[in-house]
Amino acid sequence: MPNLFTLTLQLAVVLAICRVVGELFRRIHQPKVVGEMFAGIMLGPSLLGWIAPHASAYLFPTSSLGFLNALSQVGVVVFMFLVGLNINPGELKKESHAAVLTSHVSITAPFVLAAFLALYLYPRLSDDSVAFTSFALFMGSAMSITAFPVLARILAERDMLGSRLGTVAIACAAVDDVTGWCILAYIVVLIRSAHSATSIWWTVAGILVFGLAMIHGVRRLLRGFARVYEKKGALSENLMALMLLLVLASSLLTEYLGIHLLFGAFLMGAIMPKDHHFVRYVLDRFETITVTLLLPLFFAFTGLRTNIGLVKGPQMWMYCALIIFVATAGKLGGSTLASWLSGMPLREAAGLGTLMNTRGLMELVILNIGLDIGVISPALFSMMVIMALFTTFMTTPVLRLIYGKEMDEIAASKIIAKPAAAALNQSYVA
Amino acid sequence: MSRTSRNFVLAYIFLVGLPLIGLAGVLRSGRHLAAPVSVDGTWKVEAVSSGKTSTCAAVSTFLSAPVVISQSGRNLVVTFGNGRSAVPGALEDNSVKTSIPVDGDSGTQCGQAILTSVVDPKSSPRVMSGQLAFLGCPSCAPFAFHAVRQPKTQGGGGH
Repeated sequence: MPNLFTLTLQLAVVLAICRVVGELFRRIHQPKVVGEMFAGIMLGPSLLGWIAPHASAYLFPTSSLGFLNALSQVGVVVFMFLVGLNINPGELKKESHAAVLTSHVSITAPFVLAAFLALYLYPRLSDDSVAFTSFALFMGSAMSITAFPVLARILAERDMLGSRLGTVAIACAAVDDVTGWCILAYIVVLIRSAHSATSIWWTVAGILVFGLAMIHGVRRLLRGFARVYEKKGALSENLMALMLLLVLASSLLTEYLGIHLLFGAFLMGAIMPKDHHFVRYVLDRFETITVTLLLPLFFAFTGLRTNIGLVKGPQMWMYCALIIFVATAGKLGGSTLASWLSGMPLREAAGLGTLMNTRGLMELVILNIGLDIGVISPALFSMMVIMALFTTFMTTPVLRLIYGKEMDEIAASKIIAKPAAAALNQSYVA
Repeated sequence: MSRTSRNFVLAYIFLVGLPLIGLAGVLRSGRHLAAPVSVDGTWKVEAVSSGKTSTCAAVSTFLSAPVVISQSGRNLVVTFGNGRSAVPGALEDNSVKTSIPVDGDSGTQCGQAILTSVVDPKSSPRVMSGQLAFLGCPSCAPFAFHAVRQPKTQGGGGH
């Protein structure tokens, strides 16, 4: 049984610190979520555990972390559902040549560079319980991910969602996330099947059947939600509960099939009806508790697992710098080059590359999976968290450096409807 | 095919196709890389009877709870006594080395214990054997031990 006093105290402290630090970051023109990620690190062994070990041990005793993790994972399951809900496959089909090339290069460039880096890091930061292929593929998918929600948030805060840059960036980020999650699913299956009695082919067959059933069967049934919403302008509590139940059932099925809970939640969101008002309505219902309470718990739990003290000595910091360099060169450099070659002006291409380099919360989700399945070591996990923070933090100042006051002019060149951008602007997850 | 389409195809081959071939090459060549032996996890420690008994308090702490090793390549964090003491360690070839600060029994001035153990990389479950040697503590005899890694509760690799 959890100690209720400890758990409640943890919730209160995490909530308070995340709000305060998030607000401070907002004042320096950073998305609030960056501040919350930073607050999580502050609560872990990297700061609180270092300067006040007794307070840290009192606030986060080892025996209590299981409950904190369970609560935070529930938050991430709902969050992944909302991320999937925001991805509109219909929009992806409309991509221009520029967006297709940019999105594919923004995956392959960091992926391949990360695999090259893996050749160097594997003998230094891994061990023989992890196969090189799993290690390299994981590094690739972790470096090629783009934080779709944070990117949309940055665009919304800068009023750039409707600009050509914003539209291409959103389309590319969506493609990146879907591809990244598919690759990650493959890695999880690969690693788990090596430790399981079930053949990998049964797992793959099960996932394929599940995916097809979701896309061609369940998706049609889900249209019923949109129809009721269209008719009545709202969904009853029972229908909302049913929706949540379907998310949980899908999550459980993917976990049972040997991938991860989060894939099921993401897929359920992705196949939900995409009517704009319906999506907005569902987001409004689920967002508040997820964003204000459960996600900060995830940041705190990630912070508790991040020990910057493990990145000790010049050699380890050199590895960390190398990771940041490769991640930035692959994502920012690759996306910039591809969009420039596709005919986008250099400055706009650099802006797109900078946006694509935002990793944020999605990176933390992936890294936690990597640490859970044992494909990355605690020190590498900490280095990758630093990379996620660095690349997310740099987005706004680099964008301002590239555009200066012209950011306002980009916002003026919108090519999508203002109401849609305004609606997205209200959303954290969007 | 228009010029734009041709350029797109060429750019796609150059920027997506070629890197993917490179990726296949990296994955192939990386298979031959050797990573340090895995010692990550929880180890159940048992004393190897040698006829001598150690009077050092560190020995009872050492045996009171499983030893937990967190591994990042050759860098280790070794936790003793249910999290009471966590110290950095190192992996040299197949040898785990760490130094544990200890409080000796009354009358002794033990400053630290040096743990050295050798991992058998072919064993399953993985085992290691070694000894704790006490520095500046003539009354505490070196203590030999044998440890077996406990199975993980969650699927996956090390860590």
